Amino acid sequence: MGAVTDDEVIRKRLLIDGDGAGDDRRINVLLKSFTKWCNSPGTPEEGFTQYQRMLGILAQCESSMGKTLMVYDMNLREMENYEKIYTNIEQNITSAHDKIAECKKEIQRAKRIRKNRQEYDALAKVIQQHPDRHETLKQLEALDKELMQLSHIKENVDAKLELRKKQFHVLLSTIQELQQTLENDEKSDNDDSQESPFLSVLFCKFSFGSTVFSKQHFKPSILHYVVL
Amino acid sequence: MGPVELLHMSVFSQSFSPCGRYLAAGNNYGEIALFSLSAALSPDATVQSQKPVLTFTAHEGPVFTLISSDCHLLSAGNGEISAWSWTELIKKNVKPLWTKRPNYKSSLEIPEINAMIINPRDNSLVVGGGDNNVHILDLEHGVFKSVLQGHSDYIHCVSVREREADILSGSEDGAVRIWDSRMDQSVHCIEVYKYESCARPQYGKWISCVTTDSDWMLCGGGPSLSLWHLRSLSPTSIFPLTGCQRQAAFHQDMILAVGDGPFVSHCLLGGEVKAQIPCTPQSLNTLQLNTNSTEHRVLTAGGSSDHIEVFTNLSYRAFSLSF
Repeated sequence: MGAVTDDEVIRKRLLIDGDGAGDDRRINVLLKSFTKWCNSPGTPEEGFTQYQRMLGILAQCESSMGKTLMVYDMNLREMENYEKIYTNIEQNITSAHDKIAECKKEIQRAKRIRKNRQEYDALAKVIQQHPDRHETLKQLEALDKELMQLSHIKENVDAKLELRKKQFHVLLSTIQELQQTLENDEKSDNDDSQESPFLSVLFCKFSFGSTVFSKQHFKPSILHYVVL
Repeated sequence: MGPVELLHMSVFSQSFSPCGRYLAAGNNYGEIALFSLSAALSPDATVQSQKPVLTFTAHEGPVFTLISSDCHLLSAGNGEISAWSWTELIKKNVKPLWTKRPNYKSSLEIPEINAMIINPRDNSLVVGGGDNNVHILDLEHGVFKSVLQGHSDYIHCVSVREREADILSGSEDGAVRIWDSRMDQSVHCIEVYKYESCARPQYGKWISCVTTDSDWMLCGGGPSLSLWHLRSLSPTSIFPLTGCQRQAAFHQDMILAVGDGPFVSHCLLGGEVKAQIPCTPQSLNTLQLNTNSTEHRVLTAGGSSDHIEVFTNLSYRAFSLSF
């Protein structure tokens, strides 16, 4: 582990100092050549060329410095740009989260609606199988009318039956009375014994009582017979 | 558990813990296994996390029904109801809190208990079993408060209607009875096999699954799975599923049903079968949705195999838990 890190360190230092060694070296060389040029006893041409050379080296140093400054500016601007993009993406993420939650709620609502619709459909299917309400009501009304008519008829028939019963009762009670009266008369007339066969025929006729006589018809005919 | 026993294992019942992180499953050997859902669903789950964290023998016979109240797990099989505390089970302490038996008329034969459900209105446990009666146990006082008699054959399944105080029970005699829990009387009796549209005489008349949504009821078994409107007591949709359905549930706008056949059927309320998602067991007995937790919202199905299928997205099987 220690060896690796050492290697790494050496490599890093070489990488960093590689460039720096060039620039640094150049500045040192410039300084040395400047002092040598100041103290040089050489010819003016040599001094001039040396001077030119030094200016050249100086220009090189300045340009490399300018380059690094620009790179530094560029890095700063890149950083800002990335910051902006980063915040933008964060906002997008949160809004997407919100949208997802909204959509989930929507889907729940839609599922509920769909369930209600299906329940409605199922019930509607069952209801359709039953007959229409108007028709059923009409049928009910017709049946009611028929029922009323029939009950009317029944009442009429009942009343008629009662009337006939009463009439029959009257007839039979009158017959009974007449029978009694005739028996009494026969008993009282038994001394005479002249009309007894005729009266016995009368008794037979009255004791049947099969034909229906109205009260009005009956009285005069009884009187008629009695008179006889 | 030898391989032969694993081969013959059937999972009959499941229940999620109140916190939603554990699943309890009961099999035909009388064992209850506890699975940790948070471990199985985590991104770094291994094969070991799909095995139970705890397995214990709860009853002598098969565990036909499991149900969870807010802190207890109730299990029933051969005539006895046992209660376990979830916190104790999570700590791997397998001592039951209590064991009760409903008052059966004959003491010679102990009928099995096929279905239990908790009635949240009056905190009571509705128990349906082999003695053709529905027993109601008051969970506060621990006594059996009433017996609902009326069925002529054993009861397969029970359900409660939340809005009205009604209990529904489906039995082998083909009738679904609606009981008023306040009056303890049978309010309606629907003989499903008598309706031509639902009846399937080749399968029989027994009703093996009843579930309700207060206004609507799903029932199936021998007759086809059908959706009934409870107010008018009329069948509104018949689902053309082959085989007998053993459990059905309402989920959002869909109906999930399991039964004969290695798939979970998704149906729409209108009567069409939208999808059939394949699973490994040859037939499924139980289906449960985890509504107790938001991050472990899964559907689990178990049947005639030692694997319990877990669905994280309803459209496909994610993985299996195994005993």
